[in-house]
Amino acid sequence: MTTATINHHQYSETQDNTPSAMAAPPTTVTATSSKQPVSLTKTVDTQSVLKRLQSELMSLMMSGAPGISAFPEEDNIFIWKGTICGSKDTAFEGTEYKLSLQFPVDYPFKSPKVKFETMCFHPNVDVCGNICLDILQDKWSSAYDVRTILLSIQSLLGEPNTSSPLNTQAAALWTNQEEYRKMVLKTYKPPSA
Amino acid sequence: MVMESKSSSCNLGILDSLSEESINEILVSWEGFRFSTETLLKDNGNLSIGSDFISAVHLLCKHGLHSLLQDYFLQALEETFERNGVLKFWKHFDAYSDLAIPETNTFDMKEESVQTVLCTALEEICLEKQYQEKCLLMLVHALQSYQDVISKGRHPSDVDRVRLLSRYQLMVSSVLMTSLPRHFPEILRLYFKEKLEELSTMMSGEYEDGNVKDDMDLDGRTKLSFRGGDMDVDETFHEKKISENNKLVRNIGKVVRDLRGLGFTSMTEDAYASAIFLLLKSTVHNLAGDDYRNSVLESIKEWIQDVPLQFLRALLAYLGDSVSYDSPTSGLKSPLASHPSSCYPGINTPSEGLVRWQLRLEYFAYETLQDLRIAKLFEIIVDYPDSSPAIEDLKQCLEYTGQHSKLVESFISALRYRLLTAGASTNDILHQYVSTIKALRIIDPTGVFLEAVGEPIRDYLRGRKDTIKCIVTMLTDGPGGNPNGPGNQGDSLLEELNRDEDSQENTGCDDDFNSDDKQSWINAERWEPDPVEADPLKGSRNRRKIDILGMIVGIIGSKDQLVNEYRVMLAEKLLNKSDYEIDSEIRTLELLKIHFGESSMQRCEIMLNDLIDSKRTNTNIKQTLAQSSQTDGEPGETEVSLRHLDATIISANFWPPIQDETLNLPEAVDHLLSDYAKRFNEIKTPRKLIWKKNLGTVKLELQFEGREVQFTVPPLHAAIIMQFQDQTSWTSKNLAAAIGVPVDTLNRRINFWISKGILSESLGKESDNHIFTLVDGAARNGVNSTNCEDAADEDGERSVASVEEQLLKEMTVYEKFILGMLTNFGSMSLDRIHNTLKMFCVADPPYDKSLQQLQGFLSGLVSEEKLELREGMYILKR
Repeated sequence: MTTATINHHQYSETQDNTPSAMAAPPTTVTATSSKQPVSLTKTVDTQSVLKRLQSELMSLMMSGAPGISAFPEEDNIFIWKGTICGSKDTAFEGTEYKLSLQFPVDYPFKSPKVKFETMCFHPNVDVCGNICLDILQDKWSSAYDVRTILLSIQSLLGEPNTSSPLNTQAAALWTNQEEYRKMVLKTYKPPSA
Repeated sequence: MVMESKSSSCNLGILDSLSEESINEILVSWEGFRFSTETLLKDNGNLSIGSDFISAVHLLCKHGLHSLLQDYFLQALEETFERNGVLKFWKHFDAYSDLAIPETNTFDMKEESVQTVLCTALEEICLEKQYQEKCLLMLVHALQSYQDVISKGRHPSDVDRVRLLSRYQLMVSSVLMTSLPRHFPEILRLYFKEKLEELSTMMSGEYEDGNVKDDMDLDGRTKLSFRGGDMDVDETFHEKKISENNKLVRNIGKVVRDLRGLGFTSMTEDAYASAIFLLLKSTVHNLAGDDYRNSVLESIKEWIQDVPLQFLRALLAYLGDSVSYDSPTSGLKSPLASHPSSCYPGINTPSEGLVRWQLRLEYFAYETLQDLRIAKLFEIIVDYPDSSPAIEDLKQCLEYTGQHSKLVESFISALRYRLLTAGASTNDILHQYVSTIKALRIIDPTGVFLEAVGEPIRDYLRGRKDTIKCIVTMLTDGPGGNPNGPGNQGDSLLEELNRDEDSQENTGCDDDFNSDDKQSWINAERWEPDPVEADPLKGSRNRRKIDILGMIVGIIGSKDQLVNEYRVMLAEKLLNKSDYEIDSEIRTLELLKIHFGESSMQRCEIMLNDLIDSKRTNTNIKQTLAQSSQTDGEPGETEVSLRHLDATIISANFWPPIQDETLNLPEAVDHLLSDYAKRFNEIKTPRKLIWKKNLGTVKLELQFEGREVQFTVPPLHAAIIMQFQDQTSWTSKNLAAAIGVPVDTLNRRINFWISKGILSESLGKESDNHIFTLVDGAARNGVNSTNCEDAADEDGERSVASVEEQLLKEMTVYEKFILGMLTNFGSMSLDRIHNTLKMFCVADPPYDKSLQQLQGFLSGLVSEEKLELREGMYILKR
């Protein structure tokens, strides 16, 4: 019970800062959370992180947002695998990208580390898959969640920030959408299941 | 012998020392020997030539020609035997040459003569043989007399004789064997078969002459007129029969002895053994048949004592027993050896050979009966417990033969073929399963084989959707299957299990109390290893206590599901009760508690307590309301008064989800309900009463001109018919609006009244807006009162969401999770999906399904083309 109240407290604070953010209901924590085989010390904080991640997973699953998805790895709820489909009418239409999301122990106060696992030809994504996105760095807020991160990255695909590129070639090519599209398809390797 | 062979063949130097005179002497005496031999062996046999013969032998022996003359003599015997005996002997049987071909059905019954032919043939050849033996003895005699003169008894006198006789015996049998026609063994078999049948019929006291003749059948499927029931004939008749039998047996014995003399020992034995076994087999089949209600083992044993053993006893006694049964005693002492054959006073204790025969026969009988019963085990178990004598028989047979694995294999294949098919109802399968458990518990108390046999049934039942429901019904309702009747006539399975449990526990207690050192020592000594068929993974027999309920619960996987299903059924039952009588439910619950524990039955207990509380609260509220309404005046303004209202007040949290359906009750009733709720709130503040208006039952009395009809129906039906009280015709749309239900629901429910002939339906102006009219008295006939079940069952209407519906709802959550994880991981195995759901799907209620349930659900998704199953991995269908 104590965990629930603490979590709720933290959560309402963040809600004050950004009222528009979607709030995951602080429900559904059961005894199972203590069974999570996480190597971290089982502090009250860890418990609340677990709870938060679980409720995020639940809302993500139930929301059924098209084109984005994510799910925890088999035995570790702190590492997720994500999937983003390129939006329609962009150069990325028809592609599907795998991501990895790694949540810090003090999530949601620190942003998760998000990387592309599939090679992505994009001005703001480097060859290692690192993403340059403000909400994943300095603009992070605890009101964001997996769903908003994935949606942001999905929209980033269609609307890159070419002013501070990680991939200059891609940034230069962006103006020529036809060529860009060709390049995307050339470098794109569909995830092998 | 060594010395002789040396002198005659090896030491050629002796030839030089021979004088002319002695050569002549040899030649003359050789001629004499040859001549006398020939004369001796001639057909008519002239023994008078003996003295010439002897002197010739003596002379030749003097020159060291023993072996030569012996060889010559034997060869002469052989030629004569072949000529005189063998050819004639076989000629007798030429008529039966087609016997050798097994499938000749054209064989006309010459069996009358088989016996006589065999007897005469044997007699003839034996005479010949006897004569030849006599001649041989003469030679022996001559040799001996010479030997005596020479060596003064240095040689043991018998050696030559024994050696020559055995050579002769060998010669006889080899001559016969080399010229043996193929059909001879068959003839022997036929002969013994006939004789045995004769004996058997004699024993049965129904000897008829034609019997043997008519029933002769080469396939050995002989119909015997033998019947177990006729065994108890009186003593004097018995004696007479025995003497008759003895005569018969003596005949057979003679034949056997003759055959042995001719070297057919093993063939003869084979023949009568196979005849006996054939007869035994057909007898067992006859006795056992398809009757499972009587134990046949004893009568089979009796028959073995009476017919084949008696035959053998007499035969062996006649033959002197020791001839072929002098092999060293193997220390074979089975429990059967101790059966004294004291029923025949004239005969001494059974010889070793006879005991061995008895063991063989009984083993064979056990095996035959066992095979017979195993083949029919399915039927036997269907008939259980009526068939328990057959089960007991089978148990004894198996104890003796140890062929349990045969049973397991055969029964499993029978199950697969006959029970585990789409055509069999789940109830039947379950009942057969329970019968199987009970029956096999008798055969094998350790439960090892039951484990093996039960597995396919359990696997199959897991695939059926209604399994749990059937199990619960079977457990809680009696065989009468009347769930609402107070106090079931027959016992439910649960009651029965409880009785079993009690008795088992009692015996268990004894063991515990006697657990002093001595007792535990005895227990340890009694320990036996598990049978080889035991699955080592399933634990030792010590822990394996046969628990029928446990095995049934094992089908489902967990008791929780069973309890949950029971809860739903109980809720349904309780909600449909019009009184507060729950005695039988309480009893069932108490029984379930014993098996499943208090905690898992807690919700059910609360449900029952709700009903008890309801009764009290109901009386209380009605009393206080009645007082206040009297003071308020205007009693009897509505037909519906508080007297007619009984409420079941439930603690919704502990009940299964309840189907909610809005409906507008008639105003009077509605008013009554709100009064009631108000009063409840006053008494039980802060609790509030929320009516589930669609649940419960209404007793109605419809009054027509001069006629009254009673109905017990669900509230919706009552609400419908109440609307016709003031207005005899409604369109379906208006009526639906008045009652507050969708039109299609109304159309469905109103069918009840139409089928009862109370309302009639006619098409209105619009195709979907029907007009319902109250049928007036004249047109109405044959209106019968009915009860609530009819109305409810017709529509498949239930008060409580069924377990399947609940499950489906939960599963949609899981579907989203499954699709989510597959989107990200590509392909996953069943196990991994299961584990991932267990780990991350912590919704309310948390994921608690079994692997089987998940598999079923996934295959549902596959058939909906949402998923694909490829090489054991699930992937998204795109």
